Formats: sequence, structure tokens, C-alpha cells
Amino acid sequence: MTAHVELRQISKQYGAVRAVLPTDLDIQKGEFLAILGPSGCGKTTLLRMIGGFVMPSGGTITLEGQDVTRLKPEARPTNMVFQGYGLFPHMTVAQNVGYGLRLARVPDEERKRRVQEALSLVHLGDFGPRSIDQMSGGQRQRVALARALVMQPKVLLLDEPLAALDLKLRKAMQEEFRRIHSATGGTFIFVTHDQEEAMSLANRICVMEGGRIVQSGSPQDIYLRPQSRFISRFIGEANFFRGQRKDGKVTLENGLSFADAGKDAEIDCVVRPENMGIRLNESETLPADFDLQIVSTVEEVVFLGPYTHYKLATQNGERIIVEVRDQGQNRCAHPGAKALIGWRSRDHTVLTE
Amino acid sequence: MGLDRMIWTGFATLTVLFMMSPLAVLVLFCFSESPLLSFPIQGWTLHWFFAAFDRPGFFTAFQNSLIVTACVGAVSTVIGTLAALSLSRMNRRAAGSLMALLTLPLMAPPLLLGIALLTFYTSWVDVPLGLHTVIASHLVFTQPFVILVVSARMLSFDFATIDSARDLGASPLQAFFQITLPIVSPSILGGALIAMALSLDDFLVTFFTIGGNNTLPTFMWGMLRRGVDPSINVVAVLIMALSLGATVLGFRITRYRG
Ligand SMILES: Nc1ncnc2c1ncn2[C@@H]1O[C@H](COP(=O)(O)OP(=O)(O)O)[C@@H](O)[C@H]1O
Ligand SMILES: [Mg+2]
Repeated sequence: MTAHVELRQISKQYGAVRAVLPTDLDIQKGEFLAILGPSGCGKTTLLRMIGGFVMPSGGTITLEGQDVTRLKPEARPTNMVFQGYGLFPHMTVAQNVGYGLRLARVPDEERKRRVQEALSLVHLGDFGPRSIDQMSGGQRQRVALARALVMQPKVLLLDEPLAALDLKLRKAMQEEFRRIHSATGGTFIFVTHDQEEAMSLANRICVMEGGRIVQSGSPQDIYLRPQSRFISRFIGEANFFRGQRKDGKVTLENGLSFADAGKDAEIDCVVRPENMGIRLNESETLPADFDLQIVSTVEEVVFLGPYTHYKLATQNGERIIVEVRDQGQNRCAHPGAKALIGWRSRDHTVLTE
Repeated sequence: MGLDRMIWTGFATLTVLFMMSPLAVLVLFCFSESPLLSFPIQGWTLHWFFAAFDRPGFFTAFQNSLIVTACVGAVSTVIGTLAALSLSRMNRRAAGSLMALLTLPLMAPPLLLGIALLTFYTSWVDVPLGLHTVIASHLVFTQPFVILVVSARMLSFDFATIDSARDLGASPLQAFFQITLPIVSPSILGGALIAMALSLDDFLVTFFTIGGNNTLPTFMWGMLRRGVDPSINVVAVLIMALSLGATVLGFRITRYRG
């Protein structure tokens, strides 16, 4: 079966700037795909090429088997929600949403009905006659979404859709996006630099770095099995232990060692803060399956509500964060105290690049 | 109120009075019975209005002024707007230099501009002088204003609106007429009215490029040479009222919606 959207060796160059390097990507029908990466990595350029706003320097884009590479935006069965939304300030909410249908010469009756449906879908059923400057940031975002959805696009493209909203609204809108995605069953591709947003919304994440997709997989995959230092650093927090792998055995600079198959190389052993354990009393021990253990010095204790972050330093100067699900009961953990920390070797990832 | 505040208020009041008094005097003398421009005013009359309107050539000059103003307004608005829209699509540095170049005519003293244009028409391209040369000449110094006003608006223009329109199925032309134009039209109208006000009361450039014709300002100049009588004030007030009206309207509309 061919994919819904296929990018083949798609690339974009602006003068000397290589915004997107030749990239392959298949997107299946009904997917909710996140393109995740830091600012300037080429996410928007990639998305705009799919929407038809940027002419690729090379490669092809196929949509349901049809080559759309050279089609203008108005001729593509995609719709896009732009960064900043691009709402028409001289039109009412309903006129904004109905604009595309009017251009498509959809009869009045049907247009009104579809506009109303789209507005109801984003919970703005009563806001049709309002003008745009009477709408709040979150409402504008939903108008933009309704305006794109009313066209029943084969693929919906969203450029940093939640970036302009405050944290609380962002969480609420994430909820909405999930609901709307399952209600419409459409294919959604969205671009974000916020790894948490990508995690919570997408069923697949493509991580971009410097114009190329460096890893693509489910959120769990990306989080638990990052394939490079860059990704592990970019997605969530991570502890890094430098070391050497020789003859199938890794020796870390802090003295710990364990078996690990692979070529001889400089490695980083990556452990997520929540996979680490900590004991602050000398009388206590870590569970038996925490096979890698080391003594460190507490530098700081940060209380974060449901968890506490212990920031520590090992003897050879590695900075470590341990996340514990407690509410800061371990008051004795004053800076300078010795602590035993450890993790299970099955919870770490060994990276060579 | 502190002393410094009082001094400032007093100073500001005097400045305003000083600037406004000639205009006030001009208006008062329109209605003065005496043919001498002197105070105190003895009696009131509308005689000078009829005298002005009855002068041979007045209505031709008035008509010419309207023609020139309308043409300059229309042409400078269309060209200035298109220029501003193109500038807004360029990168900042190129747009900046080009803008400086396009607004250069504003730096030239009108007297020099008038002489230069006259030389250009008579010895370079050899066209007969007339309203068409006046219109072309006025474009030189009115168009920069349209470009400046519309460019200022484009700085805060949300280009995502155009992308959205295209995305929803609009052709480039549809996007221009249905989205860009309605959004920036207040600024375009403002620019147009400023251009028309400038054109209407220009004397120097018109004087050099009009040949044998007259617009209201050059007509006034002709009246002046034959001795001052209060009907000249009537013409002056007429020009003033027209251009003031256009300017006020222009600023009103541009400020409306920021
Ligand atoms: N129109 C353009 N002209 C020149 N360079 C551009 C243009 N658009 C983007 N770029 C460059 O391409 C790179 C990728 O940009 P972009 O796709 O916007 O990244 P992101 O959305 O990930 O922040 C950046 O280095 C940016 O400066
Ligand atoms: Mg971007």
C-alpha cells in the first residue's frame, strides 16, 4: 500500500542556506504526525513545501498517488493553519470560515450549514457574527482551525499551532486537537519546537536537526530509545555518563562498568532522571535490581509539586538529576550531603553519536 | 500648576496663536468691506466672493486645479501603492535603500524641482507645457508620500492572511482584491488624500511647468501682480479649505484602525 503523503528526496535551499536537506517521509492516512525540532531546523520550510508555499529545490511530493510538487497552494487538497493564524480582520468569524467555501462556489445554504458545523466543532457555535478583534487568542486559534477544517482537507497542516497561547490554554487546546483529530479522522501534520506538545498530541514524531529528519517513531520510541545525544538532550531531561566501550564492556569515567555489545568507541550512557533512584540515609539501600550504583554529593533539592528534583555531582564532576515521586519529605537532603544513586542497566541507552 | 508647566503652556499657546493668526486674518479679510487690508474692520460683506468668482479665468483655474488634483491623486495612489507593496516583499536592506531613493525628491527644494522639470520638458524631451506636464511633475513629490504611508502600514501587515487566502483557494489576484486591498485601504486612501492636498496647493512646481494655463495657486499669483485686493483672500481661503479638508480627512482615515 502506498502512503497517503509521500516525500521523496525533498529539499530546499535558500541561496547558501540549506534549509531542508534531501528528505524522505511517508505519512499514512489518519496519522497525527509531529515534526519536532529546535528553531531554525527547517520544520516550517518542510511544512510549507507540503502546503505549496515553498517550491522545493529538488524531490517530489505525492498526495494519494498524485504528484503535487508543482501545484499552487490553491490547487492542493491540503489546508494549513499558519503561525499567527492569518485571520482576515475585515471579515466576521463566519465570513472567515466561509471564505474558502465561497471561493469554491458552494451554494449559500450548504455553506452556512458547513460553517456552522465547523464552528460548533471548535466550540464557537455562537460566535459567527463576531468580528475578529473581539476574539481572544485561544478563540482566534480555533477560528483558524475551523476555517481550515471546513474545507475537509485531505491533509491538515499546522505550523506551531499553540505557540502563541499561554500554558493553561495550550493544555486545553491540546485536548481539543486530540478530540478534533479523532472526530474528523483526518491526517494532521503539525510542526512544533515543544517536545511535550509533540509527545502528548502525535502518534508519530519526526525529530529534525539541521535540515534533516534524524529520528522518526512513536513518542515512546523517541523518548525511550533516542538515537543520538542531540535527541536525548532535546526530548525531556537526561543524564549523560561518558565512557569507553572496549571488547563488549563499557567503562564509565566515574568507574562503573557493565557489559554492552558493540564496536569499540567513545560512548555516552544516557539515563532519564525518573529512572534513577536515590538513597539519602546510609542505612538504606537501593532495590537489588539497581545494578549500577555510585555515591554522589547533593548540590540542590528542587521541589516541583508532584516530584522533587535532586541535583547531584559525582566525584569526577558529572552533573546528575534524579527525579523522585515524593513531596520533598527527605528534608535531610541538604546540600553537601552524601547520597547513593543508581539505575537499572536495562533503563539506560548507550549512544555512540 | 507649577511655574514650569505655566511657562510651557504659555509658550505653546503663543506658538499656536502665532501660527494660526495669518489664517484667521486671511479669513476675516474675505468679509471686510474695505478694499484696504487693514484693521479695524469697518463693515462686513460678501462682495469679494462675487468679485473673485467673476474674474475672467477664475473658473478655468478652478477647473484645472480639480483636474490636476484628481489625476495626481489617482495616479500617485496606484503607482505608490504598488511600489509600497513590492517594497514590503523585499528584504529589509534592499527595501530601505530603494525607499531612500524613491523618497529623494522630497529633499529637493520645490523651486529647484520646478526649474529642473521645466528644463527637462523643454530641452530634453521637448513636450509642450500644459496640465499633463503639471500632473507628471506633481507625481514626483506626491508619490513618495503615498509610498511612505502605505509602506508604514505594510510593516505591521500580517502576510499569513495572504497565504491563508491562497490556501483556501484564492488566486493571487483574488487574494489581492479580497484580502490585501480591503485590509490596507484606509492607509491607501489616507495617502491619496495627502497627495491631493499637496498637489492642490502647490505653486512653485506648477508655475514652472504649466505654460500658459492656470491653476488656483498660479491664478492667485497673477492677481497679486495686478495689485492686492481682498478677492485674493477668497481664492486663498478656498485653496486652504480644500487642502485642509483633504488632509484632515486623510489623517482621520489613516489613524482609524491604526
Ligand atoms: N524565505 C527565506 N529566505 C531565506 N532563508 C530562509 C527563508 N525561510 C527560511 N529560511 C532559513 O531556512 C532555515 C530554516 O527555517 P525554518 O524552516 O523557518 O525553520 P523552523 O521553522 O524550524 O524554525 C533557517 O536558517 C532560515 O533562516
Ligand atoms: Mg517555524
